[in-house]
Amino acid sequence: MRHRALLIAATSVVFLSCCAGAEAQQQVIGAPPEAFNMRLVGSNDLQARSAYQPTIHHQGDRWIAYIGHHGGTDAVPAPLNPITGKAEPNGTSILDVTDPAHPQYLRHIPGQEGKYEGGGAQMVRVCDGKALPKGDRNAVYMLRTFGSEAHEIWNVAEPANPVLITRLGGLKDTHKSWWECDTGIGFLVSGAPEWRTRRMTQVYDLSDPAHPLKIRDFGLSGQEPGATGAVPTELHGPISAGPEANRVYFGYGTNKGGILQIVDRDKLINGPKEPTPDNLRLPEISRLNLSAFNGAHTTFPLRGMPIAEFARDKDGNSRDIVMIVDEAILNECNEPRQMVWFADVSVESRPMMISSYTVAEASGSFCERGGRFGAHSSNESMAPVYYKKMAFIAFFNAGVRALDIRDPYHPTEVGYFIPSITAATDKRCVTIDGKDRCKVAIQTNNVETDERGYVYIVDRANTGLHILELTGAARGVAGLR
Amino acid sequence: MPLIAFAVSIGMLSGVAGYQHAPPDLEGWREIAWPFARDGWPAGRAFRCSSQACGEQIEIYLRPKIGFCNCDSGVADDDEVDRVADLDLISERFVPVEPGHPIQLADMRGRIRAYELTMGDRSRRVAVGVVVSRRCDLLVAVAQGNGTASGVQRLALEFLGSGDVSRWMLAAMSGQ
Repeated sequence: MRHRALLIAATSVVFLSCCAGAEAQQQVIGAPPEAFNMRLVGSNDLQARSAYQPTIHHQGDRWIAYIGHHGGTDAVPAPLNPITGKAEPNGTSILDVTDPAHPQYLRHIPGQEGKYEGGGAQMVRVCDGKALPKGDRNAVYMLRTFGSEAHEIWNVAEPANPVLITRLGGLKDTHKSWWECDTGIGFLVSGAPEWRTRRMTQVYDLSDPAHPLKIRDFGLSGQEPGATGAVPTELHGPISAGPEANRVYFGYGTNKGGILQIVDRDKLINGPKEPTPDNLRLPEISRLNLSAFNGAHTTFPLRGMPIAEFARDKDGNSRDIVMIVDEAILNECNEPRQMVWFADVSVESRPMMISSYTVAEASGSFCERGGRFGAHSSNESMAPVYYKKMAFIAFFNAGVRALDIRDPYHPTEVGYFIPSITAATDKRCVTIDGKDRCKVAIQTNNVETDERGYVYIVDRANTGLHILELTGAARGVAGLR
Repeated sequence: MPLIAFAVSIGMLSGVAGYQHAPPDLEGWREIAWPFARDGWPAGRAFRCSSQACGEQIEIYLRPKIGFCNCDSGVADDDEVDRVADLDLISERFVPVEPGHPIQLADMRGRIRAYELTMGDRSRRVAVGVVVSRRCDLLVAVAQGNGTASGVQRLALEFLGSGDVSRWMLAAMSGQ
């Protein structure tokens, strides 16, 4: 009996010290950011709008950030735009970040009314008219989603005064698309009404943005209209390696049952277009099924990577790698860990997972902090400054993590930055015994880089945009002075 | 005081665990082991009613699926039932018998749809998929049997509508 009392007492001490320590990790307003080898250069609150995808575009002598937003919140469905003085549903923020220390908010283009993933305009890509085969040379085109119902193309040559060019409507859902600026081919994540999945691909020729041409619908066999039986995991997003490489890498799944699908781009665009099972299978070269525990949000190709360790090998000293990033969707670790995976796809018929990366949970008691902890997305810029050297991973309440990926068999964290929360940072809740218990934590949602080497992170919990630069040893990894 | 609080919380947890595994209050049904391999969702609960008790042998599998991105639209259409109702645990080859229809279970709204399954040995079975939602979470159930779709559906709804099962569904959806 005495033993039992001692055991309970000891357990309680462990329990209390565990939770007291975790409590100390809770973010508080006014506390400094947490950082290692990364430094805050500038920030903007983005009108306290939940942010998804930043795209940074070099436009003349200016650098412009286009940032897609999720829908509003229960508390504030349509935040105030101080420029217009009106409450506007979340859409696209446009900022001049030429001076990254002082970002200038230029314009907000409202999106679809709705809350969270039910509204907004979360995705954005940008191509110069002079790069597109049939574009207006004086135009700069911004492709964005309009909530869950359309894709739109705007002329943003004057970023403060965008002009709507085209609208592709009638969809059920949208997500993160890819647009090849040199060919104009767009791989648009859509929800065509007759398809059995919420998200699939619609391939468009957007080389003349004023006159979009539909090429075909595409997805995994079993998702097409009229199919029966099990429905394969829905699409999250594709990334094309372009016509020369002739590959498109599709990621399916969010936090479960992920699939990396490697597709022959030419067969996809020029093959038979009717969505029959055979026609859908024809362009597929191979697929890599992830564990049921992990999804595939981002599938970022890193082709032709020289591997130092293999340098003296007669064969296989250069590898084609795909970095796969899962998406955590549940707060406070109520799901298997969503993280980063590296697949060697050099032998395309036999893609193989070779390494992984996650933030060490204990390094910040991240399961206790509130909100999501886990990976979401990576930067997708292929500009030389970081490509095949460093990757930046949005990791929700663990901020952004800078990885040295020069040896993708052994990716190594070399820096991180967790922004401070502000009064605008929204709460995140879990249900315990039928009641909501909420905490406030940063939710770094997405990340992008520019050719100058600045790192742009945006927050899902309304904290805004943070522009960062590498410091210390991490700069050396990228070859920056 | 903290010691007492800790002991009480442990006691409460035990009570919850005990409640969650209580047998249903419908005669003829008994709980069986979850018969499927691990997949992306934690295992749920499985029940069987013998042909002597139910007129035909029927099994039903139910579990919460906590965490989806489409939090506003609920169970929007029959495609959603096809995708998430766990039919694929029984067989990847299933064909809907007819369009589904709306349903309400334990104060949650969703849809129900009947299917014909082709098993690995090419035998045929009937199944009924049920999906209801609350906020971003789903409660899914699939029942299978050898009889008619209408018979499986009637027995499944009778089971799912029973007091114990309804209470368990609500508790499971509340994170208990």
